Amino acid sequence: MDYAPADPRTSRTTGATTTGATTGPMSAAAGAEPQLMSLKILVAGGFGVGKTTLVGSLSEIPPLRTEQEMTELSIGVDDVSATPDKVTTTVAMDFGRITVDEQLILYLFGTPGQDRFWFMWDELAQGAVGAVVLVDLRRIDSCFPAIDFFEDRGLPFAVAVNHFPGTPAVPTDRVRGALAVRPDCPVVVVDARDPVSSLTALVALVEHALVRTPS
Amino acid sequence: MTSRAGVHASGRGAGAGGDAGRVVPAYALTRGRTRPNGAELPLESLVTSTDLARRNEASLQMELRTIVALSTRAASVVEIGAALRVPVGVARVLVGDLAAAGYLKVHLTSADRGESGPDRETLRRLLDGLRAR
Repeated sequence: MDYAPADPRTSRTTGATTTGATTGPMSAAAGAEPQLMSLKILVAGGFGVGKTTLVGSLSEIPPLRTEQEMTELSIGVDDVSATPDKVTTTVAMDFGRITVDEQLILYLFGTPGQDRFWFMWDELAQGAVGAVVLVDLRRIDSCFPAIDFFEDRGLPFAVAVNHFPGTPAVPTDRVRGALAVRPDCPVVVVDARDPVSSLTALVALVEHALVRTPS
Repeated sequence: MTSRAGVHASGRGAGAGGDAGRVVPAYALTRGRTRPNGAELPLESLVTSTDLARRNEASLQMELRTIVALSTRAASVVEIGAALRVPVGVARVLVGDLAAAGYLKVHLTSADRGESGPDRETLRRLLDGLRAR
């Protein structure tokens, strides 16, 4: 099978021009079967901001935690060529699922909040609809790395202010200013525990992604 | 090799986390492989089991049988990993093996096709679906 390079980082930087799917048993030409497709949206933000809660309230399955191994060389070990045996690092990740229609399934991935796991985001970001950046106004700077990451990668994102009880309401314009995001970046206020409220963040993101996607 | 506090770092072939309640290390299931022989499937890749799989289900080892059963309804690599309580990398290898054997059909994602994101038509479908909830 002529698939993309095994290293997720490599496949990202080379643009993952994977063509192998047109041949071999992996493809099994569509035939009469419905064309199933999956999409993904990332849920990012600082540690403890409510990412797991948001994924949980939106998911139709109980939110699951999985483990993803990443090779140490992805974290910036200086001389990878001298490391014949890659050492893997295990990172926990939350995910949820929304069946959009019979053939379209959306996965939500709650990304790790720790800065040292950014390498993992490259793979997650590949092909994603975009990201919801969850913000806690009491620790607004904790979401800056996430915003920087998505801006750098050109991935559409929406800001969702998680409105905790007792937090004074803040006009979204001021949040946009404090975060220094582009004027067209959606900013919504949500209660991550509430499915209906949380859904507004996804809708805002997809609307934004649609505007940014060329026809 | 750097060692980071609070991070579980293990060598190739060693059980990498998530082994609670598991007698056999997770990577024993893949005979030590951490990479699939074929595709490096995205986490959200959907698979469905084929007729061939259903016919030969009984001959498969338990974990593979579980995957075939889970994939009667479309399941993703990440869901399969969680259901088997193995790291995603292990699920990838097992799913890759089953796909190569013709037991699973892999459904493409936009990441597979090297696209930066879904096209407009797909985004509209997604938006309609979300708004209808």
